[in-house]
Amino acid sequence: MQLERIDQWRARIPRDAGRGMRTEVIAYASERLLEQIRKDLSLEQAMNVATLPGIVGPSLTMPDIHQGYGFPIGGVAATDYQHGVVSPGGVGFDINCGVRLLNTTLTERDVRPRLKELVDQVFRDIPCGTGGKGPFDITAKQLEEALVKGASWMVQQGYGEPRDAEFSEAGGCLPEADADEVSARAKERGRPQLGTIGSGNHFLEIQYVESIHHPEAARAMGLEQGRVVVLLHCGSRGLGHQVCTDFLAEMGAAMKRHNISVPDRQLACVPVQSREGQSYLKAMRAAANFAWANRQGILHLLRASFARLFGKEARIRMLYDVCHNIAKREIHVVDGVKREVLVHRKGATRAFPPNHPEIPQEYRRIGQPVLVPGSMGTASWILVGAEAAMGETFGSVCHGAGRLMSRTAARKGRNAREVQDSLAGRGIIVRSETRDGILEEIPEAYKDVDEVIEVVEGAGLARKVARLRPMGVIKG
Amino acid sequence: MNFEVLEHTADIGFRAWGATFDALLANASCALVAIAVELEEVEPRQPYPITARGEDRESLLVNWLNEVLYYLDGRQIALSRFDIRQRGEWEASGVGWGEPRSLAHHAKLIVKGVTYHQLRIAQEHGRWCCEVYLDI
Repeated sequence: MQLERIDQWRARIPRDAGRGMRTEVIAYASERLLEQIRKDLSLEQAMNVATLPGIVGPSLTMPDIHQGYGFPIGGVAATDYQHGVVSPGGVGFDINCGVRLLNTTLTERDVRPRLKELVDQVFRDIPCGTGGKGPFDITAKQLEEALVKGASWMVQQGYGEPRDAEFSEAGGCLPEADADEVSARAKERGRPQLGTIGSGNHFLEIQYVESIHHPEAARAMGLEQGRVVVLLHCGSRGLGHQVCTDFLAEMGAAMKRHNISVPDRQLACVPVQSREGQSYLKAMRAAANFAWANRQGILHLLRASFARLFGKEARIRMLYDVCHNIAKREIHVVDGVKREVLVHRKGATRAFPPNHPEIPQEYRRIGQPVLVPGSMGTASWILVGAEAAMGETFGSVCHGAGRLMSRTAARKGRNAREVQDSLAGRGIIVRSETRDGILEEIPEAYKDVDEVIEVVEGAGLARKVARLRPMGVIKG
Repeated sequence: MNFEVLEHTADIGFRAWGATFDALLANASCALVAIAVELEEVEPRQPYPITARGEDRESLLVNWLNEVLYYLDGRQIALSRFDIRQRGEWEASGVGWGEPRSLAHHAKLIVKGVTYHQLRIAQEHGRWCCEVYLDI
């Protein structure tokens, strides 16, 4: 593989027509991160993405990239909306897996003395792990409404405030969703799971603002040093997983009909404008809306948990909600020409710069908030989108720290109790349904989130706003 | 043991073996269930029908595993024994024996989906072998 460094933050793999690449790969990474990245197949996967018919601009990788299925996790690819393809693998099984950040009226000093109580309360109130059943008992008809309306449907049912939906990417609802394109199986799998976190790397963290790096943006978001916030990471649960499974099963035959071949079967794709492509996109949007309804349900439960401990005056205010597994229809300027593209963000976050009309008025002059969770014991970041993201990465940046170690390797030679005690020694209380859940998500299993953030800021894709430190972790 | 777990940076996979392709389907199904719950704790009390079709061997295996996963995560039924009763070139039908999921199964994690990533099916040393990666 020919890898050329462009500058301190960017590297390039030139287009190799022999491999069927239609464009080059641009990798955002420092030399040290690139060394780690080259240990797995993620750059080869980005080269495979470069073969997708109708790809516009380069195949992009973010500094938190690691090996995924078909697409690398941390990959961005835009395809022409009229003449390009859509790849369900470019969205993944967990459609609209995303992050929601909530501001509170409490400070670290208010919460620290009652932290254990709070973590236990939240752990009791919000279903997580493999249990799977949520507290919102909705009918099949109500589910269909949620699939079309997303977060605002939950708000209409009394599970939240209008601001909650408004301060989400896309207002917590993708238009052009169609519940009829979602299979009965997907609905059956997802319906009982509304209001649940799930397992794997999903979590809810009680954190505090450790440092402020962009005072104006922090002010606009109502953040100050010591302020307690809550970060939630989860997605569309079994409903989204089944939508992906259903469409992947159809893709093989559909690709033959459309005469498309790809180097990795998990990259299966069809023309955006084909019947199958449109059908997938309508189902994917419905699943994305379910994810927003799910995160909204969890916010509702969280408000009750906080109120039980800190009274009604402890308010929880929506800060922002972003998705990092999605394909979005967007307009971008490519080589000076406005183009309608489908931006696949697989483990990548939208990061629109200041003054973009899709950013809520309160944040418009500072840029879109970007939420980047780190690993369990380290830190998370709030960023805002910057100009270079719009010019270079279809308005996208990283989505996390990026995994370094396999789950099996993370478990090896470690004891859950010791990990829990060591985190407690650093002021972090962890609750998990399973011991493996704690071991698999140990901080050492991830890259250094600060280094990932240095790259996106150095490259001008986003600006640091605040660094968050965890206090309480509910592991899925 | 007719299967083993494989490592992956972010997720998990398994390698399974079988004297015949039917046995491979059965053992791969056990591997999938064993990654999600304690397979030994699942009593094969009742039969549940499974039918799957594909356009080649790989898609038949993936679609069959998707059926097992649908029982597990959709119907909330864990299966621990599999009999393949009929098989055409790219289709198979049979039953999975199991029971409704319970705490006794000690759920380990949620499998989101079965992928085609580095999927491999081969005949080696007179037996069938497959490698499958799961999104978790």
